[in-house]
Amino acid sequence: MKHAQPGRSRRHPLIIETRNLTKRYKDFVAVNDVSMHVRKGSIYGFLGPNGAGKSTTMKMLLGLTAPTSGAFEIDGMRFPDSRVAILKEVGSFIESPSYYANLTGRENLDIIRRILGLPASSVDEALELVGLSEFGGRLAKKYSLGMKQRLGLAEALLGRPPILILDEPTNGLDPAGIHEIRNLVKSLPKAFDCTVLVSSHMLSEIELVADDIGILNHGTMLYEGSLDNLRAQALASGYAAENLEELFLAMIEQDNLLRKQRAVL
Amino acid sequence: MSALSIELRKERRTGIVFVLLAIGVLGALYACANFLVRGETLLSMPLDPMDILLTQLYGMIVVTNMFGVIVAACMIYGMEFRGDAIKKMLVMPMKMPSMYGSKFLVLVIGLLIAVAMQNGVLALIGASSLPEGAYDPGAVIAFAGYSLITSMPVLTLMLLVSSRIENMWIPLGIGVAGFLSAMALASVDSPLVLAHPFVLMLKPAIAMSAQPEFLAIAVSAAQTVIFLAAGLWLSGRGRYE
Repeated sequence: MKHAQPGRSRRHPLIIETRNLTKRYKDFVAVNDVSMHVRKGSIYGFLGPNGAGKSTTMKMLLGLTAPTSGAFEIDGMRFPDSRVAILKEVGSFIESPSYYANLTGRENLDIIRRILGLPASSVDEALELVGLSEFGGRLAKKYSLGMKQRLGLAEALLGRPPILILDEPTNGLDPAGIHEIRNLVKSLPKAFDCTVLVSSHMLSEIELVADDIGILNHGTMLYEGSLDNLRAQALASGYAAENLEELFLAMIEQDNLLRKQRAVL
Repeated sequence: MSALSIELRKERRTGIVFVLLAIGVLGALYACANFLVRGETLLSMPLDPMDILLTQLYGMIVVTNMFGVIVAACMIYGMEFRGDAIKKMLVMPMKMPSMYGSKFLVLVIGLLIAVAMQNGVLALIGASSLPEGAYDPGAVIAFAGYSLITSMPVLTLMLLVSSRIENMWIPLGIGVAGFLSAMALASVDSPLVLAHPFVLMLKPAIAMSAQPEFLAIAVSAAQTVIFLAAGLWLSGRGRYE
C-alpha cells in the first residue's frame, strides 16, 4: 500500500516527525522503520490492531522507552537533549490512567499543576472539561475505570498543552462517555489551538475525529495520509467510500497474508 | 524546595511521615520506660555512666529505627508504583533525580526528627538521673550524630532498592533479610563486617563505649555516597518499557 504523506504547508508545518523509528526487543520488532508526519493543528489518528506498535511508538515520543534506531522531532526538538522542553509542550495519556491511589482526583491534578507551574484554577477547569468536577474530592483508588480514564485525560489536558498524545483515550468508557470524549477530542485543536495524536484500534472511532491517519500493523506503517485520500483509495479498490472499516481490515489481512508467505519462504 | 513540597503533598495518607515520627516517639518512650525499670541495675554496671546511658538503651531504639527506615523507604516508592503514578512522573517536565533527592530528604529529615526525639529523652534522663558530674551533653550530641551517620547506609540502600523494584514486598523482604543477617554478624570482631550496611547501623548499639568509631563513620560516609549517587544516576535513566 502506497504511503501518502500528509501535505506540508506554510499553514500546517509538521509538529511531530519520526524518521525510520524502530524498536526491537531481542528478536521481536515492535516498531519497524516508522516514519510519521503530524501536522500542527491537526488531529492525527493512529490506527492499528492490538499489538501493532501504537503504544510503543507513543512511548518513544514521550521518552518512556528508547528507540533502537531512527529519530524523531517534536516541535523541532529532540530527546534526550530537550527532554524537559518537549515534555512542557506535551500532555499525554498512555495505555492506562496513572494516578496516586492515596490522593483524591483533585489532589492528583494539583500535584501535576504544581510541577507545571500552573494557576490553581487550572485544576477545576480540567475536572470540568472531563466531567469529573463532582468527584474531584473522592480518592482516585475508589474511582470506577471510566472515572480513572477521565482523570488520566484531565491530567493530559491540564494547562492546555500545545501537543496532546492520547493512547486509546476512550477505553473503559460507556457509549455516552465515548461520545463525550470523542467530541472533546474533536474540539481540542480549535478550542486549545493544539495538535492531537490519538490512537485507537477502531477505524470507525478515528474516522469521526481525525484529519490524517496512520495505519500500523506488526510495527509497520501500512498507510499514512488524509482520510479523504483513504476514501479515494477505498473507492479505487472497489469498497464503498463510507465503509472504510472494510478497507482497513482488508489492508491488515493482506499484510498478515504477505507476512505468512514471507515466513513460509 | 518546590520539589520537596510537592513530594510531601504526594505522601498524604501514605503513613510515611507517621512511621518516621512514630519511631521517634516509640524509641523515646522505650528509653524512658527502660531506665525507669532498669535504671539502678544499669548504673551498677562497671562502665562510664554516659556509656551506659547511650549504648545500653540504644539496642532497642536502633531496631525500631531500622524497621522504620525500611518500611518508610518501601512506602515512599511503593506509592509511585501503585496506580502507575511513576509513569505520569516520567512524562512530566521535571528531572527524575530531583524527585529521588526529595524522597531522600523526606526520609533523612524524618529520621533526624526521630533521632532528635530519642536523644532528647536520653539527655533528659542523663541530666536528671545520672550521678552528679557524670552527665555530658556534648557526648549525647556526638552520639546522636554518630547514630544518624551510621544509619545513612541502610536508608540510602533501601531507597535505592525500593526505587528499582515495583513489588513493595521484595524491598521489604530485602530489608528484613538485611536486619536478620546483621543481627548474626554484628558481634563478629572483624572490620570486614562493616561492609554490611545493616551491621554499620547496629554498630553504636553493640559497642560498650559511646565514643564514635572513626572507621564506622568513614565506611558509613563512603556507602552513603555510593548508594545515593547510584540511586540518583539510575533515577535519571528511568524507563517504562
